[in-house]
Amino acid sequence: MEKQGDTTALRMRTTSKYLRELMPLFGFIGIVAVFSILTGGKIIRPETLSLMFSQVYVLMIASMGVFMIMTVGGLDFSQGSILGLASIVFCWVSNYGIALGVAAAVAAGAAMGAFNGFFHVKFKIASFIVTICTMYFFRGLCKYITTNGPVPASTSVMMLNETWFKLLLAGIMLLLGFIVWHFTRFGYDLRAIGAGETAARFSGSRPDLKKFLVFTLSGAITGFASFINVIKVGSITGTAGSQLETQILIALVLGGMPISGGAKARFSNIIIGSLTYCVLEMSLPMVFPVPATQQLVKGIIFLIVVALTIDHESLRVIK
Amino acid sequence: MSDVILRSENLVKRFGITTAVDDVSLEFESGEIHGLIGENGSGKSTFCSMLCGIYPITGGRFLLEGKEFRARSQVEANRRGVSIIVQEMGTLPGLTVAENIFFGEEDKFMLGIVKNTGAMNREAQRLLDGYGFSRIVASKMIDNYSFEDRKLIEIVKATYFGPKVVAVDETTTALSQSGREELFTVMNRIKMGGKTVIFISHDLEEVIDHTDRISILRDGKLVGTVRSAQTSSSELKHLMVGRELGNRYYRTDYGMSVSDEVVLMVDDMSVPGEIRDISFRLHKGEILGIGGLSECGMHEAGKAIFGASYGRTGSVTLKDGYAVNSIPGAIRHSIAYASKDRDNESVVVADSIRDNICLPSLDDMSRHAFLSEKRLNGFAQKNAELMSVKMTGIDQYVSTLSGGNKQKVVLSRWLGKDSDILVLDSPTRGIDVKVKADIYALMSDLKARGKSIIMISEELQELLGMSDRILIMKNGRINGEFIRNRDLGEKDLITKMV
Repeated sequence: MEKQGDTTALRMRTTSKYLRELMPLFGFIGIVAVFSILTGGKIIRPETLSLMFSQVYVLMIASMGVFMIMTVGGLDFSQGSILGLASIVFCWVSNYGIALGVAAAVAAGAAMGAFNGFFHVKFKIASFIVTICTMYFFRGLCKYITTNGPVPASTSVMMLNETWFKLLLAGIMLLLGFIVWHFTRFGYDLRAIGAGETAARFSGSRPDLKKFLVFTLSGAITGFASFINVIKVGSITGTAGSQLETQILIALVLGGMPISGGAKARFSNIIIGSLTYCVLEMSLPMVFPVPATQQLVKGIIFLIVVALTIDHESLRVIK
Repeated sequence: MSDVILRSENLVKRFGITTAVDDVSLEFESGEIHGLIGENGSGKSTFCSMLCGIYPITGGRFLLEGKEFRARSQVEANRRGVSIIVQEMGTLPGLTVAENIFFGEEDKFMLGIVKNTGAMNREAQRLLDGYGFSRIVASKMIDNYSFEDRKLIEIVKATYFGPKVVAVDETTTALSQSGREELFTVMNRIKMGGKTVIFISHDLEEVIDHTDRISILRDGKLVGTVRSAQTSSSELKHLMVGRELGNRYYRTDYGMSVSDEVVLMVDDMSVPGEIRDISFRLHKGEILGIGGLSECGMHEAGKAIFGASYGRTGSVTLKDGYAVNSIPGAIRHSIAYASKDRDNESVVVADSIRDNICLPSLDDMSRHAFLSEKRLNGFAQKNAELMSVKMTGIDQYVSTLSGGNKQKVVLSRWLGKDSDILVLDSPTRGIDVKVKADIYALMSDLKARGKSIIMISEELQELLGMSDRILIMKNGRINGEFIRNRDLGEKDLITKMV
């Protein structure tokens, strides 16, 4: 009798654990369903979907870096500015060859990320403070450079504006990220550091080095995303990429990412989160034509979705 | 026979699938110190936590002076005359000593809407002085005080208002000998006042010496209650474990020679403000004990050997000439370390058993920098089973394990890593007799396999029972050295400690 009760309880607990992990997916499906009805099926038409996909690439790729930063317990608000500045670097160098441009953008992104990481680790300043500062700093550089007008990319870049090409790039990046996350020591170290930094240090995980690397990597990834960004927009203005940081954070939270990081971070958070975010971004203007109402409704929906899908369990366990 | 002040009736507590307390009916008399013992996970702490409103009760009830008693919080329990001194840190950092003592009782010191800090500090200081803790200043931040002093402050906080029942949960492991004496004085005073103390400890001698009656729990069930004057620690052990413990508690061999082969050389090792000029040699197959008072620097010495101290000078060198200067370097060169601070430094509690066991060995398991999940699972499963960790599976989070099981996870990871030198700081701290015996057996086994162990411990019996050689530290320096022999006693060690 007792034994039977135990197994039932165990099964229930396992089921509820899986349910919790699947909550963000249900959230995504729910939102697609609700807005399909509200827009009379408009958002699942092929032309809307392709427009939506064209927006999701940059967000999804850049989220990957912030995902790793959040896993170690940090935050990054400078991603939008990094994207803007890296896009400018790409535009300049693209005149000498596109591959060279991509390499330069990745290097520029990595340098900016390393700048963040250096201040965070070396001076022990909380990462959200460092990155809020550098958000203004990098944005300032962007605006300074674009004072006399937008920076255009080489015209050959526009020829790459093909859905299959962008899809391929995003796919490759996600695959690389997934491999690093799941099948290398780096991923294990990041989760352990987020779950308990001191214990991770005593297990040989080198928290300071890994944190520096993760910020650098995140900058490099966003540098790569700037390539796709330029393909889409062609030339860069001073405000390019602004708001990306908040979009990333919201997307990750919608995707079920635990705010305090740690062992419960799942790679799927990135994919489901950015898709959910883009569906909301696309659908709201269709249902609420007045921009002011959109903002208002957006805020309410985010709150509802987060309240429904967030994993309270992980917030309680961690630190 | 005195009156029954507190009674539990068919008390039950379940956490998910596990039943931590199973149908326990117990009586506590006024004017008695009642010991509560059992192995790790036997339900002692859970029992007290329900009494004091830390956990809600699943089934059954408490009766305090005949009336049902069910507290929803510690503050409510306090107001109704029941308080607890907990196992881990129960004080709040960032507040003053006085604010900690009167936490939840600030109303007493309100002038309208303003807190009368002066009055609160004066009252707190009066209490501290009354307990004989005058060296603690009520207006200072609690963070200025050591772990031990904070425990003493907790004792004041839990007892100053004259509660009818005080639960003391595993408090002595955090206290030195003098701190323990102070605690026992307070417990006796409560008893003399006709009130009741529930005393939880792993130290059976201590329980027998300081209690009137002892109740034994095993797997959440009550085994029985005995009079302290009529029992012995061997009887208690038997009742706790449910079978006789083998005779392999400590090592029984004496006069065996240790290999001359030096595996680790420590020379002039210093850490500013912690340890000074520590030098010694560790041999192959040797168990080297390091003992002393809690603050003597021995815990820092363990960290320094492992490359974990900041600002260490001097050298730690392996037999192949490698100089240990960082944690990853130490791990790579076969040094293992289990910290006294298990939850913060030994295991990542918010992570799975699997990840905890695999972390130090990830490099060994990589093939061309890639890891296979299957391989990690197999590795973790094998080593967890080797140490017989009690778990639902390797995916279980370490935060849900008992202290003894956490330590088993720590040892599993280093067994898996197959380290040659193990630095074990307080390996049996807060661990029940059965797991303790397992750990001692493991140490003997490792020794037989040619591994070397540095065991840092505050327990003199353990040092005497297990070490081939004992170093005693005092004020950050080595103050004495003893070779294993039958005639060595606690007194010999103590003379070098103080």
